[in-house]
Amino acid sequence: MSTTETKSDVERAQRTPADLRLHYYGAQNVPLLLSIGILVAMIMLYLILFVLAQRRLPGSFELSTTLNNTMSVGLAAVGQTLVVLTGGIDLSVGGIVDVTNSVAAQTMHDNPGSMLGITLLVLAIGAGAGLINGLLVTYGRLQPIIVTIATLAIWQGVALLVLPQQGGAIPPGFTNLLAGNIGIVPSSLVIFILLILLWQVLRRTRFLVTLYAIGNDERAARANGVPVNLAKIGAYTVGGLFSGAAGLYLAAVATSGDATSGTPLTLTSIAAVVLGGVSLFGGRGSAVGSLVGACILTLLLNVLFFAGINPQLQEFFQGLFLILAVVASTLVRRFLQSER
Amino acid sequence: MSTEQRTFLQPWHRLSHSQRGTLLAYIAVFVLFIVGGIYRPSFVYPNNIGQLLLLASFVGIVAAGQTFVILIGGIDLSVPWVLNAMAVLLTTTSLGMDSRAWWVVPLVLLVGLAIGIVNGLGIVLFEIPPVVMTLGMNGVMQGLVLGLTGGFTCSACNSVAPPSVQTVITGQLLGIPAGLLVWLLIAVLAGLVLGFTTLGRRIYALGNNAVAAYLAGVNVRLVTVIVYALGGLFASIAGIALTAFGQQATLGMGDPYLFDSIAAVVIGGTSILGGRGNYWGTIAGAIFLVVLRAVLQEYNISEAGRSIATGVVILVALLLYGREAREV
Repeated sequence: MSTTETKSDVERAQRTPADLRLHYYGAQNVPLLLSIGILVAMIMLYLILFVLAQRRLPGSFELSTTLNNTMSVGLAAVGQTLVVLTGGIDLSVGGIVDVTNSVAAQTMHDNPGSMLGITLLVLAIGAGAGLINGLLVTYGRLQPIIVTIATLAIWQGVALLVLPQQGGAIPPGFTNLLAGNIGIVPSSLVIFILLILLWQVLRRTRFLVTLYAIGNDERAARANGVPVNLAKIGAYTVGGLFSGAAGLYLAAVATSGDATSGTPLTLTSIAAVVLGGVSLFGGRGSAVGSLVGACILTLLLNVLFFAGINPQLQEFFQGLFLILAVVASTLVRRFLQSER
Repeated sequence: MSTEQRTFLQPWHRLSHSQRGTLLAYIAVFVLFIVGGIYRPSFVYPNNIGQLLLLASFVGIVAAGQTFVILIGGIDLSVPWVLNAMAVLLTTTSLGMDSRAWWVVPLVLLVGLAIGIVNGLGIVLFEIPPVVMTLGMNGVMQGLVLGLTGGFTCSACNSVAPPSVQTVITGQLLGIPAGLLVWLLIAVLAGLVLGFTTLGRRIYALGNNAVAAYLAGVNVRLVTVIVYALGGLFASIAGIALTAFGQQATLGMGDPYLFDSIAAVVIGGTSILGGRGNYWGTIAGAIFLVVLRAVLQEYNISEAGRSIATGVVILVALLLYGREAREV
């Protein structure tokens, strides 16, 4: 035991700094690189199957429907990422999406003022719901998983009160704005790129650095004077805001509301986060990874469709894929650790 | 603290957090029955109480597995579709025939146990977070049920549970629904395992501090696998019981039981972090949830209102006795 340790120490000392830095970067970003790898493989598989089935390359219509289907999961997953980074989990995502989706469909009218006002209202509802979660977790000193399972039930109930039956309407102008095309570029692609850019800015802010610190070692962060409670409340609030955006987007794509349409998003947002290489133990990963994870989930469905697989087996393959992806990342990490 | 020694609250202060939770949950059940009885006296007739307890038994059986899993600090999200899959397996292999019941029931229990073992192995061998492993397993079972039954259109899908199995749950013994006796048996077994066996001590040790448990010689991996296996086993027992109660298996029959099983465990005073709590509290939690919904229904509160009320009640229960110690 001790001889192998000294041997690896010697090896480490012999390495050049550049080599070490590369190794360090690789080790830090293995999960993200792995999920980008899976995404590329998925895109290739999708292209092959699509060409075989349709005898042509997918065009801008396919791009925009795929991204439109991804976007609500992606938005929810970005929100989930913030919470997961602190070592928590938000199971109320689905409930918040239900509420915001219902409110948007029930109240939005076909004029710019109403669209802007309701958008802000819906985002505020999402942020408010997240704020409640954050306060209960920090000042209530309760476990995130059980707080958010309780608020999930509450928001699902509220959504049913707002919109008892499927319905309501989203003005076509609003749908075109979020799910249509800007020139020839799908607006969902623009939003997607904006989200990635936003993350590149956000992750360098004091807020995000604090979240990483909390996720890595909450006690140490607290001991170093980090405002742990404030940062956590911020994470849940911004997380809720993104869930609200997901609900709004879902309503825009469906052009109507449904008080239960958001429920699956709790689980798919967690799946996207995990596929994106974010550690559920906190402190590791990025929202870019979660967006990649959301794309993988949508592409998986497309691949299954074009491979002619019984759609009733969808959940089977999604579940299996999720487990295998995590197994793969564990094996890669172990391999790298044994290398070092 | 010593100044309070002679107050009447002394026994209360001597109780641990989870014991207080258990006690409060039982008191809350009692209060709920009174509230329901005030509105409609027949609410507290033995017949109605028996029916409510029988409904609570399904939550309680699923929550037995969930209690074991949560006690080691894990969580089992695969409950809904493991339950559903086992219910479908029961009806489609037995085809409602008593002559097949003797091998179908053990088969269902074994398959449930095996699914739980796979959950446990994934968690210990590949370090998959329990949330992800059991979530994935839930999807796998859902897909298998939908795919193999062709969206529940198969000819065997409409089979009923064998009459003998139905009798074990819905029959009466000395005026008590037989299903309740099954629950009582499970409760006694779970209570004995947790309270009086080495396995029980190891489960608490693991939940309190996995590293310390490992250093003390506990086979952490084995205990983890056993615990998740029990989760699968209890989900399959609940699947059988629920099918026997409703005669047929239906799609989505397990969905409410994820929320309810976790809520029952937590309301009963078990810490979601593991290591503290017991099954007696979970029983109170299960009864509480079912009776609360029944009372709300008595008062003509809509499904939306019941959902909100359940969420609020869980939060209140948590704020009363689920809070963690303040960080230093």
